[in-house]
Amino acid sequence: MKEQNPILQVKDLTVSFNAFAGKVQAVRGVNFDLNKGETLCIVGESGSGKSVTNKAIMGILSKNAVIERGEILYDGMDLTKLTEKQFCQIRGKRIAMVFQDPLSALNPIMKVGKQITETLRIHQNLSHEEARKSAIELMGAVGIPEPEKRFNQYPFQFSGGMRQRIVIVIALACNPEILICDEPTTALDVTIQSKILDLIKTLKKQRDLSVIFITHNMGVVANMADRICVMYAGKIVEFGTSDDIFYHPAHPYTWALLSAMPDSESRERLFSIPGAPPNMLMPPKGDAFAPRNLYALDIDFKEEPPFFRLSDTHYAATWLLHPYAPKVEMPQELRKRIERMIEEDKKYEQQ
Amino acid sequence: MARYVLQRLLAMLLTLFIIVTVAFLVIRLMPTSIYDDPTISAEVLDMIQAKYHLDRPLIEQYGIFMKNVLFKGDWGISMKIQPNVPVFQVLGGKVPLTLFINVVSLLASIPIGLIFGAIAAIRKNTLTDHGISLFVILFISIPSFIYATLLQYFAGYKFGWFPITYTVSDVAAVKYLSLFLPTLSLALDPMAKVARYMRAELIESLNSEYILLARTKGFTRPKAIFRHAIRNSCIPVLNIIVPMFANVLGGSLVVENIFAIPGMGSLMIKSINANDHYLTIAILLIYSLVSLMTVLIVDLLYAVIDPRVRMGGKKQ
Repeated sequence: MKEQNPILQVKDLTVSFNAFAGKVQAVRGVNFDLNKGETLCIVGESGSGKSVTNKAIMGILSKNAVIERGEILYDGMDLTKLTEKQFCQIRGKRIAMVFQDPLSALNPIMKVGKQITETLRIHQNLSHEEARKSAIELMGAVGIPEPEKRFNQYPFQFSGGMRQRIVIVIALACNPEILICDEPTTALDVTIQSKILDLIKTLKKQRDLSVIFITHNMGVVANMADRICVMYAGKIVEFGTSDDIFYHPAHPYTWALLSAMPDSESRERLFSIPGAPPNMLMPPKGDAFAPRNLYALDIDFKEEPPFFRLSDTHYAATWLLHPYAPKVEMPQELRKRIERMIEEDKKYEQQ
Repeated sequence: MARYVLQRLLAMLLTLFIIVTVAFLVIRLMPTSIYDDPTISAEVLDMIQAKYHLDRPLIEQYGIFMKNVLFKGDWGISMKIQPNVPVFQVLGGKVPLTLFINVVSLLASIPIGLIFGAIAAIRKNTLTDHGISLFVILFISIPSFIYATLLQYFAGYKFGWFPITYTVSDVAAVKYLSLFLPTLSLALDPMAKVARYMRAELIESLNSEYILLARTKGFTRPKAIFRHAIRNSCIPVLNIIVPMFANVLGGSLVVENIFAIPGMGSLMIKSINANDHYLTIAILLIYSLVSLMTVLIVDLLYAVIDPRVRMGGKKQ
């Protein structure tokens, strides 16, 4: 266990969007801490509020979004209360972000070099030449061949993976403390994915970054995470260390996510979670996952479950953990799968 | 680049050739004769027809015309408007006047339209946006000669701010002042069109991820928009300049008449009505030339603004 040293704390964050049909409650009271030097993965299916949470941290929510409650504490400041001008001193300089789709994240008609040096020039007041040097150095560091030549090229002359490297360079240009990665590998093909993930890992170690990593890919989570938050319908339903979540999942939603992960051993048909996520205009009463939950109890439809403590690091919000609840085990298939994972892990460690 | 321009110029020549040919043939299909004055005697009529080769078959007439054009640079003479004066001499002072009001109204309308479109996009769904959009709809849907008349009546006659009609004067200021109202009435429509396109394009750019990325770099919203969205939104706006300019040229036919400007517009209508064939062809030629030049300039501008176009050309 690392020492607990939260660099960023999100407390009871509640964000909703004013839409034509009413208020969309995208994030409903999210709490988490990001410790210094760790990678925190936020997993959940589309629409669970992962990206909105992080846009709130970045202060780039769209105009119709309202932060209803909660605070985001960073370095003695509450980010939800900063003025735009104060926020500009933090964005890019101390908290940076890597986007999902590198094809649309770069300005198509501006040279990549200029897009990188912009950040350096606003935050560090570097001269043109200094910024150029520093950018080229960084481009080399993230594995872009011939950075001098590439510096003067346009995004359309880069491949997807190379563009994502450029986006990473832009994010890292000013040596931020916190890096938010919003599904950085979703738009890339699998071989490039693993390269980018390795790159983020290496950079994290080299620069002592604290990373918030958003994804819906459990495979990526296993690869990256120190700690994991599982989100569903705007709430965190389970959080714990990587081992907690992968080896001792407790929430039926986490079970479902893990069962839905493809794996090379199992011969059965891949599990898929029945139904669709709830409409966040009118979030369901009780546990939002209950209607899709194979193990739902009566109370799940009536009252929202609190967090039950499983260990110092591991908490889950499900009534199944209540002492009065009937004993429900995770599905057999998943149990076998987890045993296989543990075995493989041991083999890997022995090597 | 030079090679590309050369190619385009050659293609332009070919286009002009086709336009002149079609114009020559179509004009002669019109039912009336050049001289339908019943007082002219048959002998004189024959002589006139022989002089202009009108007694020959159409193909032969075309051959003679083309031979003169290609080898002597002789585009013929005006037959009725100013008899026996070479056509380009008739056009002489009129072309610059027409080009002036058309080009100035176009050039002025583009930046103003871009600015208003950008303001409307940035303040989307506010009172400002609705106000601009209202005027945009008005200016697009009402044809230019209506404003011309209104402006002439109010700004010219009622309040006397500007001359009512075109004023010939040695003092340049007086002359240009009298061209203000016609230019303005021609400029409103393109201005509104540019504003409308710019608004739509900029709104799209504003929702793009690269604006979000620019903001995560630490740019304020206005700065991010200025640095990253404006130029990107201009590219699709270029598309409409060519049809817009054609529209302005069309509008100027009427507006010139309203303000009594001795430009090409009024001359063109007169020459068509009078069956002054060679003059009509010459005017058509100039209009075509101006339009084709606009197309070429716009295409070259693409390459200046959009690196994807520029680089794409290089690879081939």
